[in-house]
Amino acid sequence: MAELDMEDAPVLASPTSQLQSELEDGVQLLNNETTTPSTNGNHANILSNGKSRAPITVSKPIPYTFDLGHLLCNDTNPIPQNPTQADLTAIARDCAQSLLNQLLTTCPITSTPEGVHLTLPTPTTPLPREKNIPPPKEETTWEKFAKKKGIQSKKRVGNKVYDDATGEWVPKWGFGGKNKGTEDSWLVEVDGEKEQREGKADDGRRDSRAERKMVVKRQERREKGNERRAVKNGN
Amino acid sequence: MIRTVKPKTARSKRAMDKKEPQIVENPKMTLFLRGKKCSQVVQLAMADLCSVKRPLSMKFTKKNAIHPFEDAASFEFFSEKNDASLLVFGCHSKKRPHCLTIARCLNHKLLDMLELYLDAETFRTMSQFKTPKAAVGLKPLLSFSGTLFESPTPNAYTLAKSLFVDLFRGQDTPQIDVEGLQYIINFAASEEVEGQPPPQIRVRSYRIVTKKSGQKLPRVEVEEMGPRMDLRIGRMQEADELILREALKKPRQLEPRTKKNIDMDIMGDKVGKIHVGQQDLSSLQTRKMKGLKRSRGDMDLDAETLVDEEMADTKRVR
Repeated sequence: MAELDMEDAPVLASPTSQLQSELEDGVQLLNNETTTPSTNGNHANILSNGKSRAPITVSKPIPYTFDLGHLLCNDTNPIPQNPTQADLTAIARDCAQSLLNQLLTTCPITSTPEGVHLTLPTPTTPLPREKNIPPPKEETTWEKFAKKKGIQSKKRVGNKVYDDATGEWVPKWGFGGKNKGTEDSWLVEVDGEKEQREGKADDGRRDSRAERKMVVKRQERREKGNERRAVKNGN
Repeated sequence: MIRTVKPKTARSKRAMDKKEPQIVENPKMTLFLRGKKCSQVVQLAMADLCSVKRPLSMKFTKKNAIHPFEDAASFEFFSEKNDASLLVFGCHSKKRPHCLTIARCLNHKLLDMLELYLDAETFRTMSQFKTPKAAVGLKPLLSFSGTLFESPTPNAYTLAKSLFVDLFRGQDTPQIDVEGLQYIINFAASEEVEGQPPPQIRVRSYRIVTKKSGQKLPRVEVEEMGPRMDLRIGRMQEADELILREALKKPRQLEPRTKKNIDMDIMGDKVGKIHVGQQDLSSLQTRKMKGLKRSRGDMDLDAETLVDEEMADTKRVR
């Protein structure tokens, strides 16, 4: 880590000039803007001119532990009995400093137009859930059957299907849907044989509609059965 | 028990589904309640906690005749009715002065509970500190100072730590804006001394002020913004071990999928294992002995025959 402290520069100067720099602190700051700061390893805080910048590192007998997912810092250093307000503030400052240091050095930083974001790790402090883990859903009759038969679910791509007759993409169901059969046709042939057999007027449109509705009803009944079974088995 | 009705509209169904157990849970709501008697100090403390916790908090102002350590049924009712799993209950009596009870629920059933007595002398509200406050709804930095919070055996302090982290953590996020790191809440407890009452938990919140340090990382200064609370430990009710174990379980679906042959070593480096195929041992150069020499017939006698045998052999291997 290159510790580039601006006030570090006069280290290069002779002792006499150091004394001078103590006197003209303000001027020196201006001068330092132009001089190249020296990279003096770790003595950023032990400065020759006596006036040091506060350190950014925290050293404690027992090092802190962190849970960055919760932005949490554990400090197990003993605290004096009846600490004063200043003590507590110092403790909190050290915690804040080291927690921020830890966050800024270990978490990946991404800068976006919205701001600088830190990616936090997953929290490690165990905390109880609000509700239990939801139980897995009961399998429906179809799912059971499909599993037994090894039927994989097909990927559904929208509600459009290619109509060979017209060469167009038409909806599978709904207005102008493919499942309508002769229901929507403008002309439906009358089945003479069927009329004779049943002894009443044949209506192809009505029959087709009834058939479609029955499929829907049957599916609804199956769904209800699945639900009922799931409730009975306690899901 | 609140009666459950089958939802009639899609909207009410969505609302009910939201209350169902989820794999990825919503952040916990906190409900602030007051007892029949509740001192001004406790009320102010609760108002401050509520404002720190906003928007994940609700505050009820009606008086409730609840004695949580005798009968927690009311807590469970409030928890279920409002879908809040954290409750903070304030009351005041001669025996339990300025008492704040923090309770936590699992499945709207009481999990654990801790009583904290607020020191009225040292209590300061947020408004008593004339400093700028942190923005609403930010995640605070938390720090626990003192050995008691890290005790290996569960005690009131570890429970307090767990409850405080749960109370203040807000929403779990994988990403956080650096601008959002605005305040720190510090919990400090000094050492336990024989013959003296258990040490207080000193809760202090500070605004974080970062200064240029001339280095990459900033110098952090803190400025107290309140509330300031000194809490004595009161009664506690720990969670049942079996129930707690159930509550700490992580759903299978959230576990990271392990990819075959890709590992992470202890240094956090990604390590892959690849199969390099079977080695062809027939072309392996072994030690040469006179007896193992091939006959002159199958050596190709080219222009290079003049070169010694070793060279010729390596050529063939190539």
